[in-house]
Amino acid sequence: MATAARILSAIILALVLIFLIMPIAIVIPISFSPSTIFSFPPTGFSLRWYENIRNADGILRALWLSTQIAGLSTAISLLLGTLCAIAIVRGFIPGGRLVATFMTSPLMIPGLVLGIAMLQAAREIGLRDGYAALLLAHVVVTMPFIMRTVLASLALFDFAMVDAARMLGCSYPAALWRVLVPNILPGFVSGALFAFIVSFDNYPVSIFLVDVRTKTLPIQLLNQLEMSPDPTLAAVATIMVVLTILALLVCDRLVGLKRMAAV
Amino acid sequence: MTSVARPAPASGRPPAYLQVAQLTKRFGSATVLHDLNLTVEKGEFVSLLGPSGCGKTTLLRLIAGLMRPETGRIVIADRELTRVPAHKRQVGVVFQNYALFPHLTVAENVAFGLTNQRRSRDEIKRRVGEALQLVRMAPFADRSVSALSGGQQQRIAVARAIVVEPAILLLDEPFSALDRKLRETMQIELRHILRDLGITSIFVTHDQDEALVMSDRIAVMNEGQIEHLGTPADIYTSPKSLFVLEFVGLSTRLGGTVVSSHGGEVEVETAFGRMRAPAQFRPGSPVVVAVRPEAISIGESEGDGRNVVRARLTDVVYLGAKTQLHLRGERSGDLIQAEIARLPPGGLPSGSELALTWRVEDTMVFPAPASAAS
Amino acid sequence: MSGVLSGAPAARPARSRLRFEGDMRGLMALPALLFMGIVFALPLGLLLAKSVQGADGLTLNGYARVLGDAYYRGVIWDSLTLAFRVTLISLLVGYPAAYALARTGGVMQVLLFSLVFLPLTVSIIVKTFGLTIMFRREGILNWLLINTGLTDGPIRFVFTEMSLVIGMVNVFLPFMILPLYSVIRMLDGRYLDAAATLGAGPFTTFRRVVLPLTMPGIVAGSSIVFAISVAAYVTPGLLIGERYMTMSMVMAKAFLNFRDYQLGSAMACVMLVIALSIVFASSFLTRSLEQRGGR
Repeated sequence: MATAARILSAIILALVLIFLIMPIAIVIPISFSPSTIFSFPPTGFSLRWYENIRNADGILRALWLSTQIAGLSTAISLLLGTLCAIAIVRGFIPGGRLVATFMTSPLMIPGLVLGIAMLQAAREIGLRDGYAALLLAHVVVTMPFIMRTVLASLALFDFAMVDAARMLGCSYPAALWRVLVPNILPGFVSGALFAFIVSFDNYPVSIFLVDVRTKTLPIQLLNQLEMSPDPTLAAVATIMVVLTILALLVCDRLVGLKRMAAV
Repeated sequence: MTSVARPAPASGRPPAYLQVAQLTKRFGSATVLHDLNLTVEKGEFVSLLGPSGCGKTTLLRLIAGLMRPETGRIVIADRELTRVPAHKRQVGVVFQNYALFPHLTVAENVAFGLTNQRRSRDEIKRRVGEALQLVRMAPFADRSVSALSGGQQQRIAVARAIVVEPAILLLDEPFSALDRKLRETMQIELRHILRDLGITSIFVTHDQDEALVMSDRIAVMNEGQIEHLGTPADIYTSPKSLFVLEFVGLSTRLGGTVVSSHGGEVEVETAFGRMRAPAQFRPGSPVVVAVRPEAISIGESEGDGRNVVRARLTDVVYLGAKTQLHLRGERSGDLIQAEIARLPPGGLPSGSELALTWRVEDTMVFPAPASAAS
Repeated sequence: MSGVLSGAPAARPARSRLRFEGDMRGLMALPALLFMGIVFALPLGLLLAKSVQGADGLTLNGYARVLGDAYYRGVIWDSLTLAFRVTLISLLVGYPAAYALARTGGVMQVLLFSLVFLPLTVSIIVKTFGLTIMFRREGILNWLLINTGLTDGPIRFVFTEMSLVIGMVNVFLPFMILPLYSVIRMLDGRYLDAAATLGAGPFTTFRRVVLPLTMPGIVAGSSIVFAISVAAYVTPGLLIGERYMTMSMVMAKAFLNFRDYQLGSAMACVMLVIALSIVFASSFLTRSLEQRGGR
């Protein structure tokens, strides 16, 4: 019976993996299909939907906006989060555990609730600039991911190295830059990549903060999906999947996927 | 503060190279260093010896500038450093786990301080080469530091600290990560290097043997204060307090009460009879009488000028360099442990009656600790 | 006390080193704390305040409308049961899958692990888009079902509750598998051997040994999947839309379409309470499991 259970669980694993990959894999053949409907199996081969992306002005603009917001919010989180994490780990501030919980707590709040709260706050203080509101909100969204990985990396970092650098003539900030940063770079990379993906993919917070001129990619894609679904979306999706896999491969080289996935 | 007391130089002599005066450091409500004073001469090797929590590492970090004291001053080579940040102090530190930079090679580690001083490329190359030569690590220049053994890492840490020619070198338990045999070799080697370079060094350790081997002088620290600062021989033969006696070397100790005092000599009543010792105490004072193991003789004729303990031997514990005797007092039945340097020829059968004797001049007396007074 | 002291060096109790060094470097935490205080904590406080703010003074009107109205109570109930179904199916499917994943070794494990991990990093819009394509009348699911002879004609998936549940399980399953995988991997094979030598059959071993030891993973995985399912918006929105109203949908419509901020805020606060209850319940459960396990 033990063997039967083992075989059964292996079969379930195989089915689960197929099930998980299927919706991602399916967009690839669709994107190369010449017809406008998403039929399976596809008939023929065409790159027309990829050419179509260039004409899809909305998508390109949204792509550029999302890249900016994700990049900037990740960078800000990285800077603020790392400084805060150092203060927590080194005991420069009292109540370090509580502060760490606070900094990672946006993870526990449903995205829509966060979005609504920020929408109301933005209205209350008269913040009308959609770009600024999005950026601020995305820093909150990315902060927990940065905090988690940086805190974990710092726990393994020997801070005597910072003292050593100071004794060799580096000021405290210079010591952090020259010794701490290069040594926890893998943590930065995996935290930043995760934060970037989370921001890039965020829908429920962004939906309340976008306006007609500033739409992030997920919002634009969903709009398009509801308005006029055609395989152009599949082409965009295929490109996103390929880019994601490339980013993961780079990250795997640098830190290893398992460390990244440590939930 | 209205008046900062200067570390007063002894009249006629130039001020000491390192002067630590009235240093106090607190963590929250706990006072870790209390009004501490220390002077070190140029080229000296001074050990800070004490149990963990005595404040020795804190003192080291204060001298390094990695912490700020509440009060007091630190002066090195006539340079007031109390308010100078760590990176401008020109103090070298060898850390407990060496704190080498794993993202840099051996040579880059050693060059780190020189690049911060913006030295020319040629000068850096030359001085790094010399430093590596000095610690006999020249062939490893381009290796990664994580590929080195513990002893090799320590050499690199030393090279990295001394290549910048620091005003003073601080060593924070640098041998604790090494195994015993390697530790002994490294102690002697490091001592030679530092003496040849004439670097003033302060060395933190909890290991008395290490301190005795390496130091010109030892500062025995306890509860945030220096209890005794002196040469190794001085510390061993005439410890200034019971704590120093207990912490450095072995001893046999008997609690008692002073019964008389005259002519610089006291008589103390103990559970093993009356003991005499060169000291001054008021009669009635609770004291501890102590003697170092090598002063004790077994079964020798008692006589004037010797103290005697008569007891039955219950156990002999051979400890290599020393032998521990477990004895039971004949009169009182009290237990005592005595440490002696060597057994008499023929050994000692368990149960035999012994007379341990030592010269009155070798007898030390300390005030009894408040909690253990008899 | 005999007045005789021992010969060994006196051991003094080590003074505990205080972690709080408290100098200017504490200011390093300030920018992040200020930022999160103003941009994160303050808006949430404002949300709570708004939910009880009426035209004149405090009111529980919004909550009365959400909790007093049978329709909205139904929406809350539907959201919870949906999340429960998704969580249960994810657990039942995810447990054996995680078990098999943890028991494979070497390169194979890395490869399979990546396949579980990859969907987590792919945009949820892409995945949901893929799901809608799969569920189409002429999509791959029907093509498979017909070609394997399981059905004669195409089955209607689009906009059904079945497709909603399947789709959500698809999107959230990795969040179940990963924590399960990490506890199962830690399982010491010797426990199982010990149980076997004590005469326990495979089923008893599972129930008495494996299940209790992997309980922390079950709690963690289930609470994550439940929390994100109950708050899910994109996937239900695309797969079924307003045919199955959830709390998220009500909130979004209240803010984006009806501009009924009182209702939206009150619903948001209800969801916040649900989400935080899950967090606290799971950490409480985890802690009591740890205490019982003595770990």
